[in-house]
Amino acid sequence: MYKTAYLFLLLFSIVLVKVSAQDANTLLSDMDQIMFGPEDREGTIKITLVNKSGKEKVREATMLQKGTDKKLFRYTLPESQAGIATLSLPGDIMWLYMPALGKPKKISILAKSQAFTGTDFSYEDMATTTYSSRYVPKLLSTSDEGFELQLTPINEKSHYSKIVVLLEKEYHYPIRMDYYNRGGKKFKEATYTYRKTGKYWNAAKVIMSDLKKKHKTIIQLTNVKFDQGLSDDLFKVENLKPANSN
Amino acid sequence: MEKIVSKVIQYRYFISLIVLFITIFFGYQIRFLKVNSDIINSLPDSDPDAVLLKQIGEKFGGNRIGMVILETDDVFTTEVLSHVRQITDSIKEMEYISSVTSITNIMDINGGEFGLEVGALVDPYELPSGKKALDKLKKRVYSKELFKGTIVSEDGMATIIIFTLYDDADIQVVARDVREKTLAFNFPEKIYFAGNPMLVTSISDLIRKDLFLLIPVTFLVIAIVLFFGFHSLNGVILPILTASIAIVWTIGFMALGGYEMSMISSNIPIILLAVGSAYSIHVINRVKQEQDQNKDKAITTALIYITVPVILAAVTTAIGFASFTIGAYLTMIRDFGLFTALGTLFSCLLSITFVPAIISIVDGSFNRERNQSVTLRPSLLSSRVLTPLHRILTNYTKQILVVWTVLILVSIGGIFLIERSVDVKDYFKKSNPTRIAEEIMAKKFGGTKPVFVLFRGDMQSPEVLQTMVKMQEYMKKDPGIQNTQSVANLILELYDALGEGRKIPNERDMIEQLWFLIDNNEYLQRFVNEDLDEGIIISTYSAIDNASKINFHHYMDEFVKNNLSDNYSIEVTGMPFVDVTMDQSLIRSQLGSLSVAVVFVVIIVGLILRSFRRGVFATIPIIVAITILFGLMGYFGIPLNIGTVLVASVALGIGIDYSIHIISHYDYGIKNGLEMQKAIEDAIVISGRAIIINVASVSGGFLVLLFSEMVPLQYFGLLVAISMVGSSLGALTLLPAILILDQRKATVS
Repeated sequence: MYKTAYLFLLLFSIVLVKVSAQDANTLLSDMDQIMFGPEDREGTIKITLVNKSGKEKVREATMLQKGTDKKLFRYTLPESQAGIATLSLPGDIMWLYMPALGKPKKISILAKSQAFTGTDFSYEDMATTTYSSRYVPKLLSTSDEGFELQLTPINEKSHYSKIVVLLEKEYHYPIRMDYYNRGGKKFKEATYTYRKTGKYWNAAKVIMSDLKKKHKTIIQLTNVKFDQGLSDDLFKVENLKPANSN
Repeated sequence: MEKIVSKVIQYRYFISLIVLFITIFFGYQIRFLKVNSDIINSLPDSDPDAVLLKQIGEKFGGNRIGMVILETDDVFTTEVLSHVRQITDSIKEMEYISSVTSITNIMDINGGEFGLEVGALVDPYELPSGKKALDKLKKRVYSKELFKGTIVSEDGMATIIIFTLYDDADIQVVARDVREKTLAFNFPEKIYFAGNPMLVTSISDLIRKDLFLLIPVTFLVIAIVLFFGFHSLNGVILPILTASIAIVWTIGFMALGGYEMSMISSNIPIILLAVGSAYSIHVINRVKQEQDQNKDKAITTALIYITVPVILAAVTTAIGFASFTIGAYLTMIRDFGLFTALGTLFSCLLSITFVPAIISIVDGSFNRERNQSVTLRPSLLSSRVLTPLHRILTNYTKQILVVWTVLILVSIGGIFLIERSVDVKDYFKKSNPTRIAEEIMAKKFGGTKPVFVLFRGDMQSPEVLQTMVKMQEYMKKDPGIQNTQSVANLILELYDALGEGRKIPNERDMIEQLWFLIDNNEYLQRFVNEDLDEGIIISTYSAIDNASKINFHHYMDEFVKNNLSDNYSIEVTGMPFVDVTMDQSLIRSQLGSLSVAVVFVVIIVGLILRSFRRGVFATIPIIVAITILFGLMGYFGIPLNIGTVLVASVALGIGIDYSIHIISHYDYGIKNGLEMQKAIEDAIVISGRAIIINVASVSGGFLVLLFSEMVPLQYFGLLVAISMVGSSLGALTLLPAILILDQRKATVS
């Protein structure tokens, strides 16, 4: 009798764990679908850097993205950096175009923990591959607020020990992400404001705060358009140099 | 005087209660006292080098940089690299640490045909292993000035982990955390800590250790000496109690005023214990000498005589201490002077109010002691030491003068041999890890004395950056400079990595666009301000001799003079230059504070004794004692440093008391119709006894400083004790000899 009850319990817990793992994977996959879902997107991105004393620095760029791993930024502000363009391509390759140099240069970012061009995002945060391919999810809790997932990096070189994500209950887009360092201490947090444009949800505003440095980066995406059928040619290195420049 | 004195007896309970309440109040304030030994905070606002150094330290965080040094046989092994990585990670996770740089996470920019490679010098989670990979790393480290001699020593046997603290960090808390967590790894490499936060913390810890260990020992030494001197409990308890109360008031006052305990002011308790007990000793001694059987009457009579000499002694001592506020370069020395002077006055006030009040309150035991002392005490010290001394003085007056003259002449010769030292490593004993760390930094990483060149102008202008590069090249031609760093280095590296050559681009827009790659980088914040209108070249200087430092200052000024421009300004500062000023100020402040103290002492003693001549006589023994002290310092190679520079004025302040007591007593005898011989004998036998007890207790108290962890304090204790013995000998032999000869001369004429 006891044996049967024990076996039943064991079976029940295995099923429970499996269901929970399954749920976690599905939730993360839903999040990826929202974040990386559109075929392509274009818009204007405004990056505001706010330091500890509240002083702001603003950068603006036009953004083109195709799929998950092709991204082109053309900076328009500040004036001194206008014309600079970065092109991210599959395989962690990045090309940089500086008008003053007049030719594109390939940049290999070998240390993913480095800050992405002075922001509070690291190159790891800006990765073009899905979260599902980089993290193992675990459902921590379910509440009225949403689902809380713990993401453990697959790559042991990650400079995070885990990321705790709060997903919106109905559509499963991220509301908040808490980043923990390798010592298990929370050191960064990101809050997301999602809006629906057409059939897609998109992060209209992301605030990434470095809790230790008391520095934050606000990214706002405006004029966003999805699935415009952007050509692959737009993401060619030779097209980094604007057509009207000599 | 009698009226005031009788009030003390009348209000004895009220006085005792008031003292108790004030002590509780100030005792509570001590809780808020902070220990801070940052010498940079103590640099004066009158020295432009010091002001600029402080400004740069605050603006660019230069004073908040610490280092962990790992010393081993070979840094280039996977094991050592793994240890460096673990320490780096552990420091990085600490709160209030803004950045950590080590061989395992330093940024490396590579360039070539393939493009620009921005990454870490080594992959921290896949450290190089095997000879080939490690040799490759070694080659890379030695190929770049950014790494060689900066992060790894040229002999490959030491490496450093550099960390920066946030502006609002409590330096000592963070430094202790770094030390504890690093040592907890228990790695086999020798680990040392350097840089301002670690140095300041190390000094503060030594101060705390000294305070906790040495003060009780000083108490004990003084109590033992007093017990042997007075053979009574009152004679032990009252002087120590008075000194302790004065210490509580003084330290409480410091805390209340927001002052911090520095490596100099940490001496205040020990000095006040030694000095503050002296006034009570004289009061008790005098009360014991009074023959009256009525206790209160005896106290009143004693106070009528002793109040003036005690006040005079205290005021002159306070002047000795206060004289530091005039000539001293470091504000910590000025604060020390100010508060020790205040504490001396507190001690004096207590000895003429609180001490008699307590003697008056304490029941018959005092009377018994007093009666015993009257019958027994004079026979001990006086019969064995003081009466024979008086006999020698009368018979060999001129010979005594000759002996002192010879001593003075020999000592003057020694004065010319005195050395000076402002090197911070000399504060520590040779075996102290902080001193070893300073030595490793000097030997293997170009020293710890920062040199800063501040450029004011457009930091993205080719002209400014090119001048920076030119100046860095120029600086490296000086043998004291190994490495220099600035934002210009980063621009050079980036432009080179882009394949455009190792130079600063001639176009401003090129620089602005290169900036895109480094913008907002933590590393950059060490070199330029946020508005990009100020930038610095950071370097360290390794030579320790003054001549090299002075030459280097001129050498740098020469560059500034030859590279003037309307588009930027250049200012040079650094610890080596501050050292030079501090060194020169040691002599200046020594002479300044001594002269001020001597003049004031002569005037005050002269006014109170109503004789300028007496004022001059009173200062002779102490001036002689100080001359001998300097002579000894010269002959024994004891340098003049921020600790020993205090000795002469302290010795003057305390030592003058002995002369004052002898001369006052002598005058009192003459005024009361005694003959010169009898007046001298009374002064030597009665006041001499208190002087000897006082010298023994003060010297014993100061000699406890020999056990201090700080070298300047060890010398300070020894030298004050020597000068106390010297000045008391002067007061008991030279001064009476002068008085006898003066009187004989007056009688003849």
